[in-house]
Amino acid sequence: MKFEFQPNDARVTLSGEFTFTDHVAFREVADRLLQADDRTIVVELSQLRFIDSAGLGMLLIARDEAGKAGRTLVLSQPQGQVKRMFAVTKFDELFTIQA
Amino acid sequence: MFGLNRRVSGAAATNIPEALAVSSPCGDPRQDSHVDLLQSWMSLAEMQQRVIRTLIAEIQDTSGFVEKQADDLSGRFQRLALSAQQQTGRVESLTSLATSIEVENQPVPIEEIARLLKDTLGDVIVKILMLSKDSMAMVYAMSEVSANIVNVEKCMASLQQVTSTTNMLALNARIEAERAGAAGVTFRVVADEVRELSKATQALSVTMKSELKAMTDGVATGRATLQRVATIDLTNNILAKDRLETLLGALLQRGNVVEDIVAEAVSEAGLISADVDGMITGLQFQDRARQRLEHVVDALSVISEALEENKRNTASVAPELLELAPADLGWVTGLLDRFTMSEMRARFAAELLTGAPGAEPHRDAGPGDTNGSIELF
Repeated sequence: MKFEFQPNDARVTLSGEFTFTDHVAFREVADRLLQADDRTIVVELSQLRFIDSAGLGMLLIARDEAGKAGRTLVLSQPQGQVKRMFAVTKFDELFTIQA
Repeated sequence: MFGLNRRVSGAAATNIPEALAVSSPCGDPRQDSHVDLLQSWMSLAEMQQRVIRTLIAEIQDTSGFVEKQADDLSGRFQRLALSAQQQTGRVESLTSLATSIEVENQPVPIEEIARLLKDTLGDVIVKILMLSKDSMAMVYAMSEVSANIVNVEKCMASLQQVTSTTNMLALNARIEAERAGAAGVTFRVVADEVRELSKATQALSVTMKSELKAMTDGVATGRATLQRVATIDLTNNILAKDRLETLLGALLQRGNVVEDIVAEAVSEAGLISADVDGMITGLQFQDRARQRLEHVVDALSVISEALEENKRNTASVAPELLELAPADLGWVTGLLDRFTMSEMRARFAAELLTGAPGAEPHRDAGPGDTNGSIELF
């Protein structure tokens, strides 16, 4: 998985495949997002091709931590397999998902 | 005119006086012509009686034939109506087969099965998500513990360094105390105590290092185990729900299609039953036809009896008229030529020409024979 932050650190774009092996990198991503000043932090997923169950778990942890910090984690533009996984697991009931 | 054609020998039938004048057998042309005319009438009456008898036989035979065929058709249609009714019942039973299955003698709608599976799969998905989330939380926690252990190991190294330095200081203090002689006695005691303290600290440090190594090894083992759990990819299990929901949707849709088709088939079967019932009712026409033909036969019988009575009366008054004029074969042939059915023509020929009843009609009205009584022409 690769990631790229927007200048204000409140928005990050993930690309490639998001699996268990990315847990260290995603921890850094989540910590950096939570340090941004905005109340809404966005994970842009339009270039993410694949996510596994560990990836879903990491997003849920990030959501909980954002909630504890008084922030809202938004998932933006999931595509293909990622979108299907979100639909099957009803992520739209847990996150704000921007189409 | 019947019976006169040969006697008038070519004279027109309407030109009787001329014909009678030519053919008078007894010298009184007027009387002879009356005799000829009466004999002709008598001969015609005889032939009419034969025709009537044959017609009566034909009508009765045809009436019986029609009635037998109608009864046979009615029976077949009744069996068809019964089959259609049974078929409707069978088709209706398909409706329940298409929409439910039997479990422990209880019908369970397929929709309920689909709902149960969907709920169960949804529950499994929630648990998979919880497992994934908790696994990753544990991974993060174990990573933090590992980092803490590394920090503790650094602290232990620092502690060992401090202990070593303290030990060296105690040794130097002892040396300086020895140099000071009696003045350093007290100082020597303190140096010895510090040295003992340093040894105890060193021993404690070794023990702590050993315990820390055991803890590090345990954390490493736990982290490796947790990593194996966390890296089990449940993606296919999650997507299986998607696939199963699609299959269940297709199954339900097919059940609905089958239900619609069965409903249509039931409706069609009902229409067929109604049509068959209507046909059975329609086949009762033979009762009215038989009654009408009986009236016709009755009327013909009355005419025949009247002709017979007239013949008897005529014979009693004028016995010489009993000698009938020969049958007019041309007239008979003309009549027979009107019949297109050879079988019927043969019966009429036998009856008219000989006065004897013709052969019995060939009526094979068996259930499997549809051609026996039909002559194509």
